[in-house]
Amino acid sequence: MKIGYLCTFTPKELIHSAGFLPFRVFATDKPINRASAYIQSYACSQARGSLEFALEDDFYAFVFTRCCDTLMRLTDIFEFAGKRVHNIEFPTKIGNVEYYVRELKDFVEVLRAWGGEVNYESLMESLRLYRELEEKLKLLFSLSPDYETVIKAQQIDVRKAIELVDEKIRDAKRVEKPKVLITGSVCPYPEVYKIFIDAGFSIKDDLCTGSRFFEYKYPNFEPKDLDSALRYIAEKYMNKSPCPTKHYEGDRRFEYVLKLAEDCSAVVFLLVKFCDPHFFDYPQLKEILEGMGKKVALIELEFPVVSLEQLRTRVEALREVIE
Amino acid sequence: MISAGIDIGSITAKCVILKDNRILGYRIMRVKPDLELTAREVLKDTLEIAGIRREEIDVIIATGYGRNMVNFADKRITEISCHAMGSSFLIPNTGTVIDIGGQDSKVIAVENGKVLDFVMNDKCAAGTGRFIEVIAVALGLKIEEIGDLALRATEKLKISSTCTVFAESEVVSYLSAGEKIENIIAGVCDAIAGRIVSMASRVGIRREVVLTGGVAKNSGVRRAIEEKLGFPVKVPEEPQIVGALGAAVLGMRQV
Repeated sequence: MKIGYLCTFTPKELIHSAGFLPFRVFATDKPINRASAYIQSYACSQARGSLEFALEDDFYAFVFTRCCDTLMRLTDIFEFAGKRVHNIEFPTKIGNVEYYVRELKDFVEVLRAWGGEVNYESLMESLRLYRELEEKLKLLFSLSPDYETVIKAQQIDVRKAIELVDEKIRDAKRVEKPKVLITGSVCPYPEVYKIFIDAGFSIKDDLCTGSRFFEYKYPNFEPKDLDSALRYIAEKYMNKSPCPTKHYEGDRRFEYVLKLAEDCSAVVFLLVKFCDPHFFDYPQLKEILEGMGKKVALIELEFPVVSLEQLRTRVEALREVIE
Repeated sequence: MISAGIDIGSITAKCVILKDNRILGYRIMRVKPDLELTAREVLKDTLEIAGIRREEIDVIIATGYGRNMVNFADKRITEISCHAMGSSFLIPNTGTVIDIGGQDSKVIAVENGKVLDFVMNDKCAAGTGRFIEVIAVALGLKIEEIGDLALRATEKLKISSTCTVFAESEVVSYLSAGEKIENIIAGVCDAIAGRIVSMASRVGIRREVVLTGGVAKNSGVRRAIEEKLGFPVKVPEEPQIVGALGAAVLGMRQV
């Protein structure tokens, strides 16, 4: 049975260990119609498109984590629309591991109430499988970023995802071209990335549909029981690639983006309209990046993406500018 | 050395033939649904006007939103780079290009013909030629009449909607209230100028400011932009061919 989730801070290993399929929900190619009865048009199209998908498709339940305001309130809307939901209060201020372990313990009870069984052995196996997937995706992306694969990997069983990534790694070849860093929240449309490749860029990303799904700093201990495995998950997710919806000690988020941009000629902010956390960071990041000599472009998207040719003009023009 | 630039826009196709930095001929025609056929036709017509044969052309560069459909071109370059080059070719100290086309509008920061930065509005009809077309229909006017009528206005009525469809409703509402057509049109031109100038301020406005694209021919919009900028803008003699001209100039430099 599928359990839908929207945010990469969702502990998918726990869902998987309970015998469910963690399935990342994105906006689709279909127009947003039914969802408009529940959510206003000035919410981002990822939220609206995900609700549309959820209303059309067969999910057992949905799991939310506390990230942006819209997704927090989307939990209530999903519930109002008759869906089974659970909200995990992931701390906005990164650091309080104890608090988050307690949240995870509550979540284990929810999974049990939904008919799943979580134990130490099954959780360790899920942790192992997801780490293998993440490390293989990291390798694949270091050779040749493949967005179709990473998006698909988030919607199929982790074992099948590992096989799929293995297959892609075999054929992947590194191509040296001017690098563009694409930063933003989500973009579940592989054709958008293809436009950058066609224009003569090689891509690095700071996206929730790309590297933020598989970039982690893993805790330095081996869990010995279920409680320590939950602590392992808490620490793993608090040390994942930083997201603008979280508060970090110091400037971890900016440092992360600026480090990624170092060897790139251009930086594209690929932002979903009404994505406040990313837009709040944009002016400051843009100024710093331009100070580093990077060409910066802002491209706003609305899902489903329809005007690909207009997008192509912007991307090709950016490529011409750095020539 | 002969170079041809073909600009397939959303409404019109333009072609310029250049020989050693001298324009031999140009042609503007309506775009047909088959973009490659349109490109062939506009080139054929321009060859006749220029009085040369196809074989004499050394390089063909395609630009505009339909550039990728012009398979016979030697290279395809975006209209952003072409407008920057075309404007600088005609007005050498171009600092900013404001291109208002049929379907989108763009502001390009330029230095020595090269693009420094650009911003585009391609999602919304407001601030494009389409906006004027819609309003012209609502007022029962020909599109060419709009500019001169705006200059005869005694006051500028406020069009507050940023959406073309809602702006059209405002225009209809003014008509019902008995307002003069020229005052309504002056308000429409002012609304377009407002959107364009606010977009331009995102890339920074540097003189000379050159207005290109079909809407540059509209004297009402031009005056409204100048009022908002606080200084005069330059408009090439034929602002619609600047993209195609830039493509031809870039073609000369490719070979």
